[in-house]
Amino acid sequence: MSKRNLNHGGTGVLAAVAIAAMPLASPVKAQEGVDLNISLILEGIYFNELREGNESPAGFGGGHHHGDGHDHGHHHGFDEGFNLGHSELVLEAKLGDFMDGTLILGFDDHDVEVEEAYLRTRSLPAGFQLKVGKFLSDVGYINSHHPHDWDFVDRPLVNEYLFGDHGLQEIGVQATWLAPTQSYTLLGVELLQGETSGVANYRGEQSAINGTERILEDTEGPRLITAFAKFAPDLGPDHAVQYGVSAGYARRYQETEAHSTRFEDWNGTAWFAGLDAVYKYDAGRSYGHGNWRLQGEYFYRVIDVDRRDVEFTDVDSDGNPTGRNIGDVRNVQSFKNKQDGVYLQGVYGFAPRWEAGLRAEALGLTNEIGRGDGSSPDPSYRYAAMVTFRPIEPVFLRAQINHNDYADDHGRDRGLDFMLQLNVALGAHGAHRF
Amino acid sequence: MPLKRYVIVLLAMVLASAWTAPQAQPLEVVATTPSLGMLARAVGGDQVRVRVLAPDDRDPHYLDARPSYMAAVRRADLLLEMGAGLEEGWLPAVLSGAANPAVNEGRRGHFRASDTLSLRRSVTMDGPNVGHVHAEGNPHFNIDPLRMAVLADALAKRMGQLRTEKADYFLARSEDAAQRLRQHARALADRIPADRQFVAYHEDLDYLEEWLPVKVLGYLEPVPGVPPTARHLRRLVRDLEGREGRVLHARYQPSRGAGFLQRHLGWDIHAVSLEPPVDADLEGYLELMSQWAAVFGGG
Repeated sequence: MSKRNLNHGGTGVLAAVAIAAMPLASPVKAQEGVDLNISLILEGIYFNELREGNESPAGFGGGHHHGDGHDHGHHHGFDEGFNLGHSELVLEAKLGDFMDGTLILGFDDHDVEVEEAYLRTRSLPAGFQLKVGKFLSDVGYINSHHPHDWDFVDRPLVNEYLFGDHGLQEIGVQATWLAPTQSYTLLGVELLQGETSGVANYRGEQSAINGTERILEDTEGPRLITAFAKFAPDLGPDHAVQYGVSAGYARRYQETEAHSTRFEDWNGTAWFAGLDAVYKYDAGRSYGHGNWRLQGEYFYRVIDVDRRDVEFTDVDSDGNPTGRNIGDVRNVQSFKNKQDGVYLQGVYGFAPRWEAGLRAEALGLTNEIGRGDGSSPDPSYRYAAMVTFRPIEPVFLRAQINHNDYADDHGRDRGLDFMLQLNVALGAHGAHRF
Repeated sequence: MPLKRYVIVLLAMVLASAWTAPQAQPLEVVATTPSLGMLARAVGGDQVRVRVLAPDDRDPHYLDARPSYMAAVRRADLLLEMGAGLEEGWLPAVLSGAANPAVNEGRRGHFRASDTLSLRRSVTMDGPNVGHVHAEGNPHFNIDPLRMAVLADALAKRMGQLRTEKADYFLARSEDAAQRLRQHARALADRIPADRQFVAYHEDLDYLEEWLPVKVLGYLEPVPGVPPTARHLRRLVRDLEGREGRVLHARYQPSRGAGFLQRHLGWDIHAVSLEPPVDADLEGYLELMSQWAAVFGGG
C-alpha cells in the first residue's frame, strides 16, 4: 500500500495548477514542521443507458430537492458516453501531534468544490476527539466514505434521496468519545449548520409579495444536530464487524418552489434515524482472494412542515386572469412526509485482484406523503451487479449494471444502465478507514 | 452536608486510583507484528501485557484499519511498529481513530523500530514503482535476529523510560535475549554450506543474507506489490538456467510463480512463515530461525 509515488513532475504540476493560490515548495514535504501529503484521485466513467426507465423514484425529488442551481449532473446520473466522474485532490497535513488538517477538493469537468476541509484533534485526553470545519457526517456507514472507497460506482439511493447528492456533508463541529473498552465503542455528536437538501434544506426568508409575508423565515445556524454510536466487537483475525446507530434533528426544514402562478412554501422541522452494519471476512490469501464484505443501511426520515402558498401573478401562462390577486394565500396546511430507504450489498473476491458484488436497494417502503390530500406512492427498487479488477493496488477498473425499478405517478418503469469506471489514486494517499 | 462529603470522598478515590493505577499495572503494549510482540515479551517479561495486531499468517502490508485495532491502541501505554512504511496502509488510520495521545507519533509511547536501525536498501527505491515505495529502506528486518537483538536493547531503554523503577529489569532481560539471538544465529550460519542461493516472492526475505551465508538471486514479483507475470518468470528462468537454488515464499503468497521455476529449473519450493505465532516468546522465534535455516540444509 504505502507511499505512492507523487514525486513525479506530472502530478506535481497538476496539483500546482489546481491549487494555484497555494505556494508549494516541493510536492511532498512542503514546509518544515508541516508534514504534507498530497494525492490525486482521477476517475473516468463511461455510461450507457441500455433501457430508459422512470427518472426518479416516486415520492422523492419531483422538483423539490434540486431547484437551486446545484445541478452539475450528479443527481440524474451521468451523461451518455464519457464522463470525468468524481475526481479528488486530497491534501493532508499534520500539525505535530496536536491536530491533523484535511482538504479535499472534488472536481469534474465543470466545477471544483470543497468536499471536506477540517481540522481534527490528536491530543485531547480520555478518548475525546474534535473535528471542526466542513466534513462528511459520520452517521451511517457509507456517508463518510469517499466515492473511490465504494464498492459500487454510484451512491446508494437511501443516502442520495434522504440526505443529498453528496450525502450528509455539512459545516460544523463533531465531538467523539472512544470508550476504553475491549470492544470498540464510539459515541459522537455533531452540531451542523444545516443545509443538506434531504434533511435540513434551508432557504431563509423570502421577500413578501404585494405585502403578503412568506411563511419562510430566517433561522440562525446551527440548525442540525446529529448523534451516532458505533460498536465493533473483536472477532479475531478472520472476521470483523461494525454496527452503527444514528439519528439527527433539524430545527429548520424549508422548501420553496415556483409553480405557474404561486410559490409553494414549506417551513418546519425534520428528523431521521437509522441503523447500519458492515461485516468483513479476511481469507488470508493474497490480493483479496476469498475475502467477503457485507454492508447494509436503513434510514427513516420525517419532514414535519407547515405549508402556505402565495400567488405571485394574477394571470396564467396564456395571459388569462386567474381570478386571484397577487399576494393571495392558498393551500394552508400542516403535514408530515414519512419515508425510508434501505440497501444491502455483498462483495466477494472471486480471484486474486478480482471482485464481484451485488446490491439490492429499496426506497420508500414507508412512503407517506402528507402534502395536499396525502398519498402513498409505491416503493422503488434498484438492483446492481458489478465486477472490479485491480491490476495494481492504486488502480481499479469496474463494470456495473443497474436495473432500476422505479415507481412514479404513472406506474412502474424498468430501466437498465451500464457503467464502466476507471479510478486511479496517485500520490501519498492516506490509509483507508474500516 | 453529607452529600458534599460523599462527593469529595468519591472524587478523592477516583483521583487516587488514577494516580496509583499506572504504576501497579503492567505496561499495556500493542505490537503491529508478531515479531515485535515476541520482542516485547522477551524484554518486558511479567511487566508487560502484549496485544499483537497483525496475525502471523497475513501480509502486514495489507490489513484493514479495524475498529478492534483502534480499541486496542486506545488502551495502550506503548505502541510498537516496524515502520519504514510497512504498516502505512492501515496504522495511520488506526492511530488517528484511537484517540490516545500517549502513543502518537513522536511520543514516548510510540516505538518505531525502523528508527533505531540501519536498513537495507529496498528495491522499491530504485523505481520504476507502482504504488509500493519504501523510501526509508527495506522494512522486513523481522527475519534478521541480529537486528532484532539491537532492537531488544532500544526497546528495553524505551520501556525503562515508561517504568523507570523497572529499567534495570528490562535491560537485563534485553541483554539476555540479544545474546541468545546472536548465538543462535551464529550456530545456524555455521551449519549451512556456503553460497546457498534462492529466489523470493517479495523482498521480505532479503535480510536472511545478513546472518546466513545465502544470497538472493531475484524476486517472483516483477515490481514489489505486483503479482508475477509470465514474461517476468520466463526471464527469471532464462537468467537462472543451469544454476542451483531454491524458491522461497511466505505461506500467504500464491505459489504459482514458484511452481513455474520448479518446473523449468528443477528447484525446490519452500513455503515459510515470516512471523512467529502471535503469542510466541523468544523460544518461538528461535524455533522459527531454525526453520528458515533448515530450508538451506542447515536445520
